[in-house]
Amino acid sequence: MRIQMILAGIGGQGILFASKILTELGLKLGLDVMGSETHGMSQRGGSVIAHLKLGDFQSPMIRTGTADILLAFDGSEAYKSLKFVKKNGLCILNLKSIALFDKAVLNYLRKNEITVLAYDASGKAQEIGSVRSANIILLGFSLGTGQLPFKAGDVRGIIGSLSKEKDRDLNLKAFEMGLWAGEQEKIDF
Amino acid sequence: MRREKDIRVLLGNVAIARGIIEAGCHVVTSYPGTPSSEILPAVVEFKRESNLDTYIEWSANEKVAFDNALAASMTGKRAAVAMKQVGLNVASDSLMSSAYTGVIGGLVIISCDDPGPQSSQTEQDSRFFAMFAKVPVFDPATPQEAMEMVRAAFELSEDFQIPVLLRPTVRVSHARQNVTLAPVEKLERAANFKKDPERWAATPRYRLILHKKLNESLTRIQERFEHDTQWNYEVGTGQEAVLGIITGSVSFSILMDILEEKNLKSIINVLKIGTPFPLPQKRVADFTARHNKVLMIEETDAVIESQIIDKSRLVGRNTGHVPLQGELTPDVIYSILADVLQELELTHLDKTTDPHLDVMIEDLNLPVRRPTLCAGCPERAAFYAIKKALPKAIYTSDIGCYTLGLNLKAVDTVLDMGAGITFASGFYQAYSQDNKDIPIVATMGDSTFYHSGTSSLLNAVYNDARFILVILDNEITAMTGMQPTPGLGITAEGKKGNPIPLPELIRGCGVQWIKTIDPYDVSGLIKLLKEARDYNLQDKGGGIAVIIAKHACLIRYPELLQKKPVKVKITDECTGCRHCLEFFECPALVWNQKKEKVEIDRLLCVDCGVCLNACPSEAIVQI
Repeated sequence: MRIQMILAGIGGQGILFASKILTELGLKLGLDVMGSETHGMSQRGGSVIAHLKLGDFQSPMIRTGTADILLAFDGSEAYKSLKFVKKNGLCILNLKSIALFDKAVLNYLRKNEITVLAYDASGKAQEIGSVRSANIILLGFSLGTGQLPFKAGDVRGIIGSLSKEKDRDLNLKAFEMGLWAGEQEKIDF
Repeated sequence: MRREKDIRVLLGNVAIARGIIEAGCHVVTSYPGTPSSEILPAVVEFKRESNLDTYIEWSANEKVAFDNALAASMTGKRAAVAMKQVGLNVASDSLMSSAYTGVIGGLVIISCDDPGPQSSQTEQDSRFFAMFAKVPVFDPATPQEAMEMVRAAFELSEDFQIPVLLRPTVRVSHARQNVTLAPVEKLERAANFKKDPERWAATPRYRLILHKKLNESLTRIQERFEHDTQWNYEVGTGQEAVLGIITGSVSFSILMDILEEKNLKSIINVLKIGTPFPLPQKRVADFTARHNKVLMIEETDAVIESQIIDKSRLVGRNTGHVPLQGELTPDVIYSILADVLQELELTHLDKTTDPHLDVMIEDLNLPVRRPTLCAGCPERAAFYAIKKALPKAIYTSDIGCYTLGLNLKAVDTVLDMGAGITFASGFYQAYSQDNKDIPIVATMGDSTFYHSGTSSLLNAVYNDARFILVILDNEITAMTGMQPTPGLGITAEGKKGNPIPLPELIRGCGVQWIKTIDPYDVSGLIKLLKEARDYNLQDKGGGIAVIIAKHACLIRYPELLQKKPVKVKITDECTGCRHCLEFFECPALVWNQKKEKVEIDRLLCVDCGVCLNACPSEAIVQI
C-alpha cells in the first residue's frame, strides 16, 4: 500500500495528534511511515499542515497534485491545501454543509473527479461539550465513509493507547460518533 | 524477523535523542528553540526507559549549554549539546575555540536549521558555521539516518578529538518515521580531567600549534569521508548518464521520491553526500567527470557547491538554477529538475499545479491566518496597557510568543535574543545625544531575560540609559513548548533546582525601581507605566524602571482560568469601530460581516475578562 495524506487546519485543532494516530496506524500495519509536521510559532493559531505518507517513500513531504486524501479541519484552510490533492483524490472537510463550499472550486474538483465530503465535526464536538474533540470526530467520520483503506478497530485501539488517561473515554466516544456519522454517509454514497 | 526488532514511529528530534542515548552519552544540554526543542525532553524519556544516570540540563542559553557539554567531554565523558541554528550564533565563541582545543570524550553539537524560515529570524546554514569553525558535519536525510549519524559523530569525535556537528533541517527534525532502534550502550567513564594548560588554557603561541593540528585532523577526516560508503553513496543507473545530481539532507529524500514517481532513475545518477564538510573532494570530482552536467541540490545554502573546485559542469545556485533563499520543497525541487531536464533535452515533466486553481483560490480572498496570542494570554493584556499608557513610545521587543505583539502594533523591533533591552538603551542614547528624551518601552519574556537580558540590562544601568522594561513573566518558555526557566527552578527532569527570582536578579543589575503586577489588572498596569515614565524622566534619582508583568501561561496552567471566570458579552452599544479587533486582537472576538458588529466566539473565549478594558464604547460588559 502507498498512500499520501494531507491534514490541514489551524494551530490548536489537534492536527498533530490526528497525524500521530495515523502514523502509529501505519506502523501497526507494518508499513513504512513518513510524515512532516508544523511546530513552533504556527501553533499559536496559524495555519498548520501535516503531511503523511504510508508505504515505500523516502521523503516526509508531499508534492502538489499527488495526495490521495485531504483531511481539512477548517473550511478556509481546506482551500489552501486543495492543490495537494491528485486527480481522483478525496477531500473530507469539517464543514456544516457542502453548500458552504465555493461553487466554482467545487465544480473544478468534480471536473478532476475529486470526491468531496463535508461533515460538521466542530458542531458535533460542541454538542458533546468538548470543542477540542473535532479532530477525532472528523477522523472517525473519514473511517466511517469507507474511503480510507484502514479498519476502524485498528484506529480505535491506537486512539486508546495514545490518549492521556483523562482524555481516553472522551476521545473514544468522539471517534465512535464520527464513525457512525461516516457510516450513514456511506449508505447515501 | 521484523517483530524481534524494536521499531517505533519517532519524530526526527526524538530519533536524535535516541541516538544520543544509544551512544552511551553521559551529559546532554540544550536551550529550547524551534526546530530543536523536542530533543532534550526525549533524552529525559529514554533515560528513564533505560534507567540510566545521564546528566541532562536545560541551560540558561546556548553558550552556557555548549560550555557545560564541552567541559564534560574534557573529563573524558561523552556529551551532546542541542540548539536551533541561531542558537549556534550565541554559542559560536565556544564553537570556534573548541575546534582548536579539541575534545577528549566525544562531543556532538546538534544545530537544527530552519529553511523557509518557519520559526526563526534567519535561514542561515549551520554547515557553513561548521566550515568556518573547521569542524566536521553530518547532514541527515531522514530521522533514521539522523539517529545513526549521532553514533557515528561520537565515534569520529573521539577518533580525532574534535567536536562534530550534526545538522538536521526542520524537515528531518519534525519528520515522523518508523525507526529501528539499536541497543543502548553503557559506557562506564569516571570523570578524569587531565591538566594540560598548553591545550586547555592555550595562549596565542600555542593556539597556532593547535590550529596546525586541527588542519591536519581535517585532512585525515576528509580522507576517511572519501572512503565512507555509509553516508556518501551513489544511487542511479549504474552506468554513464548525461545528468548527475549531487545532493544531501532532506533534499536527497525528496529527490528520490520524485525520481521514483517519474521513472527517472534510469537516466539520472545521484551522489548523496552525508558529510558535506570536509567534502570528499575526490569522490565529487570523479562523479562530476562522469557527467555532462551536474545539478547541485542542497539546503539551505551552497555549502557543497562552493567547496567544489572545478565548477565548469555544475548547475545550481552559481548558475541561477536553484533559488538563493527559501525552502527546497518537493515543488521547488520538481520545478528545478523539470527546467534542467528540458535544457538538456532529456525529457519533459508536466506541471502538476493547475494555475487555474490558484487563481480561483486567490479570488476567494481567504483570511491570512497569522499566528496570534492565545485567547486569555496575559501578554495581550500587557501590550494593550502599554499602548494605552504610552501610545507614542518606541516599542523594542524580543524573541518569544510576545513577538506577536507585532499584531497589536506594540512591537517595533525584534532582532535576536536580548535586543529588546539593548535596543532600548541604544535608542535612548541616540536620541539623548540630540537632547531628546523619548518614551521607550522594552518587552521581554522571562526565559529570554534569563538567556541574555542581564548583561544588556546592567550595561544600560551602568551607562544611565532611561527606559521602561516590562518583563512578561509567564513562568515558562511558552513558544517552544513549555520548558522550565531558571525562575521556576524546576530542572529538565522535573526535579527541584534552585529558583532564581527575577526581582533579585534585576536588583543585582543595578535597577532601583522594580514593581510586580498582574497584567490582567490593565488599569493598574497603565497607572504603573505612567509612574515608570515619570521615574525615567527624573533628572536626579531617576533611572530605568522595570515592571514584572506576572501571570502564568494559560496553555501551561489552564486551570487558573476556571478559578475566577469572568463571563462577558457584547451589548448593542457596539459601534463596529473595530478598535478591539485591531488593538486587542483576541481570537475570541470576531467580526460579524452582516451586522457589522463584533461578536464573541464562545468556543474560543476563555472567560478571562480582560477585554472589558478593550472597548472605547464600553459595549463589552460582564454578564
